[in-house]
Amino acid sequence: MNVLLVEDDQSVAKFICSELERVGHRSVHCTEGDLAYDTARDQAFDVWVVDRMLPGRDGLQLIQDLREIGNETPALVLSALGEVDDRVKGLRSGADDYLVKPFAMDELLARLQALSRRGVNNQDGTTRLQVQDLVMDLLKQNVSRRGLAVLLQPREYKLLEYLMRHAGQVVTRTMLLEHVWGYNFDPQTNVIDVHVSRLRQKIDKDFDTSLLLTVRGAGYRLGPEAQ
Amino acid sequence: MQKVIGSLTFRYIAKYLLVLSATVFLVVVGLYAFFSYNYFRDFSQSIIEEQETLQIVYEGQSLVGVRRYLQDQRDTQILDRFHYLVSDRAGDKMAGDLPESTGYREFDDGWVGFELALLEWGESIEVDFIAREVTLGDEYSVIVARSYEQAVHQARLVFATLARTMIITILLGLIGGYFAAARSLRRVEMLGREMSRIIRGDPSQRLDASAERGQVGELAIILNHLLDQTESLMHGVRSVSDNIAHDLRTPLSRLRNQLSELHHSLPAEKSEDVERLLNDCDSLLASFNAVLRISTMESGNRHAGGGEVDLRQLLSDVVELYEPVAQESEIELDWVTVPNASCQGEADLLFQMFANVLDNAIKYTQQQGSVRVELAHNSSNEDSGYRVVISDTGPGISAEHWEDVFRRFYRVEPSRSSQPGHGLGLSMAQAIAHYHGGTVDLEDNQPGLRVLINLP
Repeated sequence: MNVLLVEDDQSVAKFICSELERVGHRSVHCTEGDLAYDTARDQAFDVWVVDRMLPGRDGLQLIQDLREIGNETPALVLSALGEVDDRVKGLRSGADDYLVKPFAMDELLARLQALSRRGVNNQDGTTRLQVQDLVMDLLKQNVSRRGLAVLLQPREYKLLEYLMRHAGQVVTRTMLLEHVWGYNFDPQTNVIDVHVSRLRQKIDKDFDTSLLLTVRGAGYRLGPEAQ
Repeated sequence: MQKVIGSLTFRYIAKYLLVLSATVFLVVVGLYAFFSYNYFRDFSQSIIEEQETLQIVYEGQSLVGVRRYLQDQRDTQILDRFHYLVSDRAGDKMAGDLPESTGYREFDDGWVGFELALLEWGESIEVDFIAREVTLGDEYSVIVARSYEQAVHQARLVFATLARTMIITILLGLIGGYFAAARSLRRVEMLGREMSRIIRGDPSQRLDASAERGQVGELAIILNHLLDQTESLMHGVRSVSDNIAHDLRTPLSRLRNQLSELHHSLPAEKSEDVERLLNDCDSLLASFNAVLRISTMESGNRHAGGGEVDLRQLLSDVVELYEPVAQESEIELDWVTVPNASCQGEADLLFQMFANVLDNAIKYTQQQGSVRVELAHNSSNEDSGYRVVISDTGPGISAEHWEDVFRRFYRVEPSRSSQPGHGLGLSMAQAIAHYHGGTVDLEDNQPGLRVLINLP
């Protein structure tokens, strides 16, 4: 994955770059908005990570300007403090995801993965999702494993669909809340775990290999880790 | 009315009027005594002088002369003239315009005041006279009397005028005082209203001290100072907790990231310990974030509006999210709603609020209990906002703690601490409700707890 990081805080930037490198991603770092604009325009990246407060050009403005010239590279905005309407503002300006600093690196990595792979398993024309022997028919809205039908509740279906679209990637609990339930909030208890374990019951119970795995300290992953 | 009369300004004005009237009254009484004393002295003196004149006339012209003199006096048409009665030793009237049988009382100093019925006009009028009797030679005695009716009349006039003036002064003073008091009271009331508005709403606002004059203006300035101090104290307390949360978040995330790195490189049997540490880090970070979010909402302005939220859909999403959790504990989760409910608000925040409350309700309800979520109009008027009642059959919270549970990090009793959580759920719910202009109240569900959330 090729990441453009636009961040004026040197220590944060250094940390993110080294972490990205550790898990095998390449990154280009810009400290200033106007320079970042030129870099993003001239080079192709899989994903942009943009801090909100930047010298030169504001982070949201930067994304907006790049969208205006037709550049649709997925962008994740980092913000210092989660003001109440910040998230909405950020997503409205053309960003694809939003993360409040300080964040867990696992969360950032999972989200970057999800963003950069949007184009792969998530094309609009796809009518069928498959992870090993688990198959989801998007038209008939049914799921089967090894040919055996799996009966799901509507929310379980949505949950599985999201996991299948991001098969092989780590998906965090907040990502599931945002995309499956459509709300960005902070559950105080393990409510997501309960839903996931119910889904796991349905798709893994009668089979010898487990597809839906818990990634300790981070979230969940459907299928083996993607390379 | 009652309030104005009881007000400081009115009482001050009334007291002032009382003292002023008493002073004026005393001065007038003094003046009256002084003038009447002088008047009566001159008055008696004039009678003595008149008698002396009569003596001289009598000595010169005997009784005939006296008669002529008296006639002359009578003919001159002056209002304030003397009255005479000349009588001989036997008491028969010899001359004069007073009737023969004039009775009088004698006073200590020889002066007499008597009430005389003047018969000249054919009717009896009570008139005050001052009279003095002297002898004319050896044969006659003469009473010279002078009416002080005129003076009394004038004195009465003056008194009546003074009394009216004073009554009018007092009346007008009281009315004026009433309005002045009402006015100043209005200013004080306005000050009070402004203050409570500022305290309830945005503590960074100040009174407009320049619009007020005098003491009220000074009071406004003092209140503004007070607000300054209160605000800085509030800021102090809040910023201490915020700063702790804020400043610890960064090192804590760094710690978490390093733990996570360690987790990847450790052999599987060791990784469980690290996992526990990671979970602890996550829950600490979550509560710091919650504190900061609460502060942000409390210090910020109210929700500006704009976003329309389908409350019915949102609540049914919350209920659906928690349904499996309730099922795990065999808790019955009821959900009652009205067909249409939309309000202005931030969906994520509202979701957070209901999730916090419902999470608590399920957490504290024992197995086979029930939790009920009810969405209804606030009253029969459909525009008056919504009421969401989330009730459980758990142990409830005793009424003495109802205020406290909204405080950050407050846990009701040690036994409850066995449950996970940081005691921030209800504070956050309240902060979110206030942010939307709503309220959160608690009630006894007998048994259990009812949480009432009102939204405009």
